[in-house]
Amino acid sequence: MTIPLLGFVRGDSLGLIVLVDSEHSIAELAVRAQRAAAMRVAPAAHASVYFAGVRLAPELTVAAAGLGPLDRVDIVPLTDAEDARA
Amino acid sequence: MIDRDEWLDLARKLDWELSYVEEREAFPEQVSGRPWLPATGWQQWDEPYRTSYAEYVDTQSAKEVSVAAVRETVGRPEDMAKLDPAWLSAVKLHAATLPLAEFAAVIGNLRAARFGRDSAWRTTATLGALDELRHTQLPLLALHDLVPADPQFDWVHKLFHTDQWVAVAARHFSDELLLASNPIEFAIATNFVFETGFTNLQFVGLSAAARRVGDRLFEKLVQSIQTDEARHAQIGAPVLETVLAHDPEYAQYLIDKWFWRSWQLFAVITGFAMDYLTPLQHRAASFKEFVQEWVIEQFQSSLARLGLRRPWYWDQFVGALDYYHHMLYASAYSYRATVWFDFALPGPDERAWLAEKYPASWLELDPIWAQITERWRSAGPGVEWYTHGATPVAFCNLCQLVLCSGTPRHNGARQLTHEGRKRVFCSEPCEWIFLREPERYAPHEDIVARIMTGKAPANVIALVTQYFGLSKDDWGSDVRSGHYPWIRS
Repeated sequence: MTIPLLGFVRGDSLGLIVLVDSEHSIAELAVRAQRAAAMRVAPAAHASVYFAGVRLAPELTVAAAGLGPLDRVDIVPLTDAEDARA
Repeated sequence: MIDRDEWLDLARKLDWELSYVEEREAFPEQVSGRPWLPATGWQQWDEPYRTSYAEYVDTQSAKEVSVAAVRETVGRPEDMAKLDPAWLSAVKLHAATLPLAEFAAVIGNLRAARFGRDSAWRTTATLGALDELRHTQLPLLALHDLVPADPQFDWVHKLFHTDQWVAVAARHFSDELLLASNPIEFAIATNFVFETGFTNLQFVGLSAAARRVGDRLFEKLVQSIQTDEARHAQIGAPVLETVLAHDPEYAQYLIDKWFWRSWQLFAVITGFAMDYLTPLQHRAASFKEFVQEWVIEQFQSSLARLGLRRPWYWDQFVGALDYYHHMLYASAYSYRATVWFDFALPGPDERAWLAEKYPASWLELDPIWAQITERWRSAGPGVEWYTHGATPVAFCNLCQLVLCSGTPRHNGARQLTHEGRKRVFCSEPCEWIFLREPERYAPHEDIVARIMTGKAPANVIALVTQYFGLSKDDWGSDVRSGHYPWIRS
């Protein structure tokens, strides 16, 4: 099932409608959100995704994370140093 | 002959005791507004201009002659073609968003001309209605004539008749402010907050910019309008004073609500023009500096004089001066085909100027322009789509503008579930306004809701062409389509 989420990529100027499938992973959600914002924010190799202030595990599916239509997710691209530490 | 001052008040103060209807029937609260007071409660109403109709006609006639002379001299398409294309975009933005809103203000004034609670107020509102009719016609006449030379000027007349997203936001604002409000709310919201609080940004700031740019027609148009605004804006303060005396919390609520909504509108139309679309060499001050001088200082002193508090979100408003219009402009730039005017890409000199004017925020905002510039560099001039968004964006359920509050580090959007439906608001004040009158705002569908219910297409290209009414002939582009010499270096 396709789920429209409100995606806010850190560093961006606005909120976007990010379309994901309920079986997509959170990592895939991060990729899609960054791709949607790519003309304004340079995509990073990895990004953390937060829902209601809680970081979601990248391997979790959208459905398993409990995300529903028009939920707000915050996507925080990781710097190279953060990525290396992760 | 009797002296003017001897007869003027007699002519303006034509109140009489009603004999065959009750006062509450002639001026029902639902239409006249609250607090409902008997006529004696309003009889002290006065304003300083005290213009008679004969004087009004003489003055307006002279102004019309003056505008016509400038238009005939420098208002032809070939004159406009000499202007910087970025500046022309500022004119297109102003000219599409304001004239038909001014026409809605005719209705608001006419309602006050009938249902305002004092005869002098009703007289001044009658002249205000004539003013607003003029403010509709002037830009329609002068700027819509430019359509053969530039189809984007068609939006001067067209915008409010479309479901383009700015039009949806503009109607949401002006329908409530100008068409639906009662005379008391209209006087406080339009005359006091909007006109005395904000319109100087356009009428003084942008008029001065027009002079520096060499756009004598636009300068003359807005100056001519400003002198009318200065007069009929005087309706607001005496209405506010009376409401304050009887229901101070309601007066404060109207101030708080309409200051925020007005600020958002001017952040778009004046913020874009002053900080991005006016060529750098012609900028005298930043949008923030202008707001500080003309809105913050003057409006604060007006509030203090009347014993009103600053709006509760004042600190958020002051903080937004460093971010909001910048985030909106960057967002709109990267969705420029969804609007009817073009955008300038800020180059190194413009970005240095913005860094100097906005030291608190520019370090966070500049990377956005660095990325857009890098995309232009990669794609080459003319490849608009590579710096253009393809993903639908979200809109605030109150102001209907894109979610650009807060900062790039933390967007200020807020969510709540109201009567089973998820709502999103760009900011805390927008959420607060919604929750004060949810029955008024809840039925309205934003663009995303229209997409989700199948009333508007989800595909961005179909949305732009079929639903917004734009085509490749008039949708927005980069003013130089990426042909900036500094991009290559």
